[in-house]
Formats: sequence, C-alpha cells, structure tokens
Amino acid sequence: MAARFLSKSPSGRSLLGALGTSLLGVGSVARETTSKHAYSDILFQQQRTFVQMGTNLKVVDNSGAKRVMCIQALKSKKGAKLGEVIIGSVKEAQPRGKVKKGDVVYGVVVRAAMQRGRCDGSHVRFDDNAVVLVNKQGEPIGTRVFGPVPHELRKKKHVKILALAEHIA
Amino acid sequence: MRLEKCWFCSSTIYPGHGIQFVRNDAKIFRFCRSKCHKNFKMKRNPRKVKWTKAYRRLHGKDMTQDSTFEFERKRNRPQRYDRINTEKVLQAIPKISKVKATREKDHITRRLTVGKVNRRKEDRRELEQSISLVKAPSVLKEDATLTLPKQKVTVSYAQTENTPMEE
Repeated sequence: MAARFLSKSPSGRSLLGALGTSLLGVGSVARETTSKHAYSDILFQQQRTFVQMGTNLKVVDNSGAKRVMCIQALKSKKGAKLGEVIIGSVKEAQPRGKVKKGDVVYGVVVRAAMQRGRCDGSHVRFDDNAVVLVNKQGEPIGTRVFGPVPHELRKKKHVKILALAEHIA
Repeated sequence: MRLEKCWFCSSTIYPGHGIQFVRNDAKIFRFCRSKCHKNFKMKRNPRKVKWTKAYRRLHGKDMTQDSTFEFERKRNRPQRYDRINTEKVLQAIPKISKVKATREKDHITRRLTVGKVNRRKEDRRELEQSISLVKAPSVLKEDATLTLPKQKVTVSYAQTENTPMEE
C-alpha cells in the first residue's frame, strides 16, 4: 500500500470555502507535530467533505491537464459529490495537451474521498479526488480515462466516460 | 443482492451496512463496520489482530479445511435461473450452515480438551504434594479418606529380566 497518509491536507476542510483565494495550489501538506500519537488519532479520523471552491483535483484523462482547482460546484450550494459536474481552473498542465494552464473547464468528479451513499444502502469511498474534463455537453475532452470510476456515472448520463474507463467500481 | 465478506474481520456484510473503499489500483475493500474500517486506515494487519477470523484461522484457533467451505466459494460465472435448482439450494443452505457450525464447535472443543486434561493432572499433582498446607500429616495418617487413593501401576517382572544390562 502506498503511503497515503503523508499526502493529506490538514483536517478542517470546511474552512476552505471561506478561504478559497488564500489556498491556491494547496495539494499535499505534510504537517509535523511533536506528539505523534495525538496527531495520528486526528489524522485517521479525517472528516471528508464535498468538492468545493478551492479543492484541488487530479485529472485522470489524457486531455493534457494534470491538476484542476474547483471554482464552482454546479447543482449544489454545499459542494460537489461523486459523479457531479464542476467548473475548474487548470492549475497544472502538460506542455502539449488539449488544455493549457489557466483554462476554465468543466469536469466530472469520478473519484471522491467523501463517501457517497448508493441506493442499496452501502457507501463507497475512493482514495483521492479526481476529475475527467468534459465539454459543456458532457462529452469527455480526452480519449482515455485512468483508474477506477464509479457506476454512479451511468445514472448521471456520463456514459462515454464509463465506456473509456478501465475499471468500473 | 450479494452478501459480502468484510476484508478485515471476515464477517458477512448485509445490505445497507458498511463502507466500500476503492483504492486507485481498483482493488475494493469492504468493511462491515467502522471498527474494521478504522483499523484498516491505521494500516493494521488483520492477521495480527486477535479478534479477526484471519488471525484465528492462521493460528489454528478456528477450522480451516473443511468440505462445507466449498459451498461458499465465490463463483464468477453467472448461472441461468433454474427454479428447481434455486429451491434445492435454498433448502440446503440452513442444513449446510448447521453442519458447519457443529463442526466448528467440535474443532474448538477438541482444541480445548487438551488443556482441560492437563489442568486436571496438575490439580491432582498439587493435591498430592501440597495437602500438608491444608491438613497436618499426622491427621492424614489417621484418616485414610482425606488422601487421594494411590494409583497402582503394575510392572511386569518377566520383561525386566529379559532386557540386557547396559554396560
């Protein structure tokens, strides 16, 4: 298993909504503390919340972008959940890609660290926050999707992404 | 609907319970309750955590090899619905689980009888040796009922004569 714990933002993510502008590009911040045990208790019970303004998401297609920061979660005031569409600003991009740094793009959240309830009563949770960039019509810009995707996308009518996915969770 | 097994403690997860964690390599971990989920997040190895089935099976506390386990094995081939088959299976399930439960219980009782026998031997030895703590030896000599009956072991003298002397 990879060292997942070292690359988590500090807890208290709900504050990010208010401090959106001041937290640009905050991806992985490893906090150092003196008392290891107290910190690890807090760390392992991290409260996962919605994908909201300021959330950094990984881009998991080959559209050219690497990291996108959410600037608006469509549909909900609280924030986006798994399977919902967001508007993001490309923060990091590959040199030769379909999108450049600074572009404003639409994206579908395909992996969210916050659990989402399914209709059979179970909950799913992924390891990180990831998006697939789409255009306004909902069609993916890239041609490949990496990593697992949830089958919540089928209900949300993002069938093309499911078709490109290598694994459906 | 499918009854899954918890990745950590191996108990069955009924619908509506637990959390499913999908790792980026597409491996799915299912947990029956937050206890197991939190232990997983702490990176604990279930084979080292005493209350899990994995530990118990590994350390021989619970039954590992049995024919009743074959029935529960996951088969990834979907079966065409056959009414007679389904009815038979539904009738067989409680019987199989009953048999399995009795076998597991027997395994545990068998495992524990060894300790029981040993403890009884120990108690007998302690009684013989430390009876003087309870009653004075003079009292014991007078009243024969207070001591344990001495066990008689027969030694066949014919055998001992035939064995050659080792120089």
